[in-house]
Amino acid sequence: MQKINRNVVLALLSMTSLVFLLFQLCYYKFYLSQKNGAAFSKVRGSQSGQDSTRWHVVRKFLGLISSHNIPVYLIDPLILGLVDKDIEQIRSSPDGPSPECKYFCAPRDFTTFALLDKTWKHEVGLFRTAEKMGFQWLKIINKDPRLDGMDDLSGMEIPLHYIFKLASHAIHLVVFYERSGNFLWHGPLRLKQHIDRKFVPFRKLHFGRYPGAYEKPELLLVSIDDLKVQIPKNPSSFLEEVSHSRFLECRYREARAFFQLYSDDASLDAVEFRKKAKSLLHLAALTLNNLGVKFWLSSGTCLGWYRQCNIIPHSKDVDLGIFIRDYKADIIPAFQKAGLPLKHKFGKVEDSLELSFQGEDDVKLDIFFFYEEDDHIWNGGTQAKSGKKFKYLFPKFTLCWTEFVELKVHVPCETLQYVEANYGPEWKVPMKTWDWKSSPFNVQDNGVWPIDEWDNVIQIY
Amino acid sequence: MEEWKPNPAVKPHKKRSWYLAWKYKLMNQRALRKLCQTGAVLFLLVTVIVNIKLILDTRRAAYEEEDESAQDYDDEMLNVEVPRHPVNSKKVLDVEVYSSRSKVYVAVDGTTVLEDEAREQGRGIHVIVLNQATGHVMAKRVFDTYSPHEDEAMVLFLNMVARGRILIFTIKDEGSFHLKETAKNVLKSLGSQVAPFLSWRDMWTFVGKKGGEVYGEKHAKSPALSTWGDPVLLKTEVHLTSVEDAECHWPDTELNRRRRRFCSKVEGYGSVCSCKDPTPIEFNPDPLKDNKVFDVPVAVIAGNRPNYLYRMLRSLLSAQGVNPQMITVFIDGYYEEPMDVVELFGLSGIQHTPISIKNARVSQHYKASLTATFNLFPDAKFAVVLEEDLDISVDFFSFLSQSIHLLAEDESLYCISAWNDQGYEHTAEDPSLLYRVETMPGLGWVLRKSLYKDELEPKWPTPEKLWDWDMWMRMPEQRKGRECIIPDISRSYHFGIVGLNMNGYFHEAYFKKHKFNTVPNVQLKNVESLRKDNYETEIHRLLGEAEVLDHSKNPCEDSFVPDTEGKVYVMFIRMEQEADFTTWTQLAKCLHIWDLDVRGNHKGLWRLFRKKNHFLVVGVPASPYSSKKPSTVTPIFMEPPAKEEGAVAVPAVAAAEQT
Repeated sequence: MQKINRNVVLALLSMTSLVFLLFQLCYYKFYLSQKNGAAFSKVRGSQSGQDSTRWHVVRKFLGLISSHNIPVYLIDPLILGLVDKDIEQIRSSPDGPSPECKYFCAPRDFTTFALLDKTWKHEVGLFRTAEKMGFQWLKIINKDPRLDGMDDLSGMEIPLHYIFKLASHAIHLVVFYERSGNFLWHGPLRLKQHIDRKFVPFRKLHFGRYPGAYEKPELLLVSIDDLKVQIPKNPSSFLEEVSHSRFLECRYREARAFFQLYSDDASLDAVEFRKKAKSLLHLAALTLNNLGVKFWLSSGTCLGWYRQCNIIPHSKDVDLGIFIRDYKADIIPAFQKAGLPLKHKFGKVEDSLELSFQGEDDVKLDIFFFYEEDDHIWNGGTQAKSGKKFKYLFPKFTLCWTEFVELKVHVPCETLQYVEANYGPEWKVPMKTWDWKSSPFNVQDNGVWPIDEWDNVIQIY
Repeated sequence: MEEWKPNPAVKPHKKRSWYLAWKYKLMNQRALRKLCQTGAVLFLLVTVIVNIKLILDTRRAAYEEEDESAQDYDDEMLNVEVPRHPVNSKKVLDVEVYSSRSKVYVAVDGTTVLEDEAREQGRGIHVIVLNQATGHVMAKRVFDTYSPHEDEAMVLFLNMVARGRILIFTIKDEGSFHLKETAKNVLKSLGSQVAPFLSWRDMWTFVGKKGGEVYGEKHAKSPALSTWGDPVLLKTEVHLTSVEDAECHWPDTELNRRRRRFCSKVEGYGSVCSCKDPTPIEFNPDPLKDNKVFDVPVAVIAGNRPNYLYRMLRSLLSAQGVNPQMITVFIDGYYEEPMDVVELFGLSGIQHTPISIKNARVSQHYKASLTATFNLFPDAKFAVVLEEDLDISVDFFSFLSQSIHLLAEDESLYCISAWNDQGYEHTAEDPSLLYRVETMPGLGWVLRKSLYKDELEPKWPTPEKLWDWDMWMRMPEQRKGRECIIPDISRSYHFGIVGLNMNGYFHEAYFKKHKFNTVPNVQLKNVESLRKDNYETEIHRLLGEAEVLDHSKNPCEDSFVPDTEGKVYVMFIRMEQEADFTTWTQLAKCLHIWDLDVRGNHKGLWRLFRKKNHFLVVGVPASPYSSKKPSTVTPIFMEPPAKEEGAVAVPAVAAAEQT
């Protein structure tokens, strides 16, 4: 009897533990799927409940925005990635019914769309309709960066992101703004204190960790999974942009403080120089962009951007940096064609290359080529009369977009390290006398060019 | 058959097998039990492991989420929104009102809502309007009823205040000298016992509800002409009503929500807050066909004159072809009421921290506004610049749409302006006619982005320079000989009579009689002739066709121009060199047009209308058109009156028309 009792107890225990275990598993699965839909996307083909949820939510959302005549376009990187593989087929049959749900059925937590700010009127009606359709929505607003550079203007805060949630799926609508420099900008997603942090898994959103800068995309109306959506005409180049889109705002507040300390030079010469330097920079950017050569603001021009959000009027030239791997032989003829004759060429592609072009009235364009090593990056300098070589060392950096004198240009993301490497900890103090051979903080002697190479590595026109 | 054999040993065998089976079963059970036991233990173990894993996972995920959102997604400025004060749940307000010679104040529930003890300022009757449900101040005005006509303004204002609002009156210094019967009757109808008998230097305070009860009134009579009445302090209680009673019951639409917000905050805008038949706040004027300025941003430069702004925006939003999305109102200072007006119309507004003082403050505000406009609309090639004290003509955008291409193509142009400095009722006639002038009129104009970005912005006067921005723009260093296009009949009307450089007398003399176009869809004629070279051809044609007037007559007399219509006449005045405007200024004076500085000239030529005839004035010999003068004609010379000149004209020039 005792034995039986023990058995019964054991059996009961096992049963409970089994039930408990099952419950735990179910909960675990539920929990995981809520946290991370992607974890289960490997389960292919199965049209589980959640899959069609996504499709339905997207369809409802597209209906909502088209009923308010708001042109949105798809920028979801994962869907665009899939679309890109079949782009030829999708382009050739814009209306064809699709046999299977390929794009909008992969179970995911959210789908991302973009909206151009100027194409809609901020009607409140949209949100009322959305609520009627069962959407919950969240608006993320923040300061308008286009007014940030201005002295003490306070505009209304602008919407940067919207999130529409229905059932278990959310639509992330990123608002793009036009900025000076002919590009589009989207803001970072920052949650204010009272916002529900669990509304959606914010950290999984593809857009919003940083602000981003994009070209104005050409759009294409396509039908995928029987839904008509606008997508960027060239998804692969758009996806490429996404990965390098991080945008840095100029430090306007610090720049204002700088000008309070050292008042801005408003003399006629300064105004003239800034005007010329600006047009030279615009011309250089146009030329290099046409060649597809990536460049960034370097040396004094970069310092001007970082310190005072403007061109330093006593700097006398415009400085750009280019990675040597992006070097193209066409650069020199392209600049000459643009009306900027080569002034000098120092070094060679393998070592310390530096080009100088003559802009209008003594404003010079210097292009330094940067060489990447394992733990640092450097560019070279050459003294024409002695053939001495110099080396300027920088810590490793990546490139970010910024807006400068009405231009979208690259700057090192790690700007402070870059500027400090170049100008030392005292970079905040303006220096009118500057010697490129001795003043830089990071200059090193790098030997002398062999005499027989001089004709090649020191060319002055 | 063979197989079947009765077997006696079956039974015992069966017995044994039973036993064996039993034994086996027992053994089996033990195995089963063992199995069960192991299984259970295993299950338990797995459960425990899964449990632990789950706990760990959840914790990690939660931690990560918190961590990451803390790092990346939290607003750096953790400005905790201060919970708003719950709307005054108290049903009674304590009101204190003080009236004296040199100081007035009003306190509501211990909060001072008005305090004025400045010297030589704020004379007259101060009026405060409170919301009867919340006790918020909705309007604050002072009417200097010591001076003429101010009582009329007060009556106008009091009539606009909605029924049920709480009105507080107090006199500072003197408020009865020009307080006429009509005004006294209005005050009496509000319940004041004293108002009809208010006299010289009396002190008076009064609190009442419009169209309802009186909460209190105090009065101190002035004992003699040379002294003031004793200060009076009125303390009283006001009972609040419910919010529902204080609001109108408009249908719940987006527009009415804006209206309700506005009307519960401010007073003195008349029918826009009328419960019964409120005036619309959306106008939907006809769109323009082929509108070339639909995408041109419009910057409205405003200060703290919300009533002006209200009137201005109404006319702007009623103009055909307006695009409300392109309008931005720039408010110089953190004033609430102008912002309320902007929000009422659903427009976007930007506030600007005032920099510097007086003219320099206006000038800095202009710079910030223009820069911001081009930042907000980076695609724009132009911006329309308006001010808060302008009425906008119904065909303002049509006028610009037809002429803007000139500004894009003709480098010799500085601006297009909607204002003709010399376009008065008696000197402007043709809504389809445009001129080129060397002066920049402002008052509703179009600025080219390249001009601003490349030339003006970098050298804009700095805050310490007390310059008028428009005077600065008119300087030769900036204008560089370029001209503006203006219409004969202005497309804007300057209605402001209070402002930095403006007063009632000045407005009456120079602005009141300005002609303002009210005809929609005017087709401008011969726009191409406004281009630099074409315009010269056009002028020569005009001069060739013009009849020379009788130079022996007095040009100030009406009879100088014959009683004809539609003819072209020319007269010649003496103008020794380019900057010699002696005769012109005298002529302008007697024609009652703008004479404070020289406006509207083009190479020593002025064009206007007299008695519906086109009237040309050529300055000889400075003007290149002098060659058209018949040799027999002696140019007219008019001498300035010797004494007045210095006293009147000079300070007035400094106070040019911008406000």
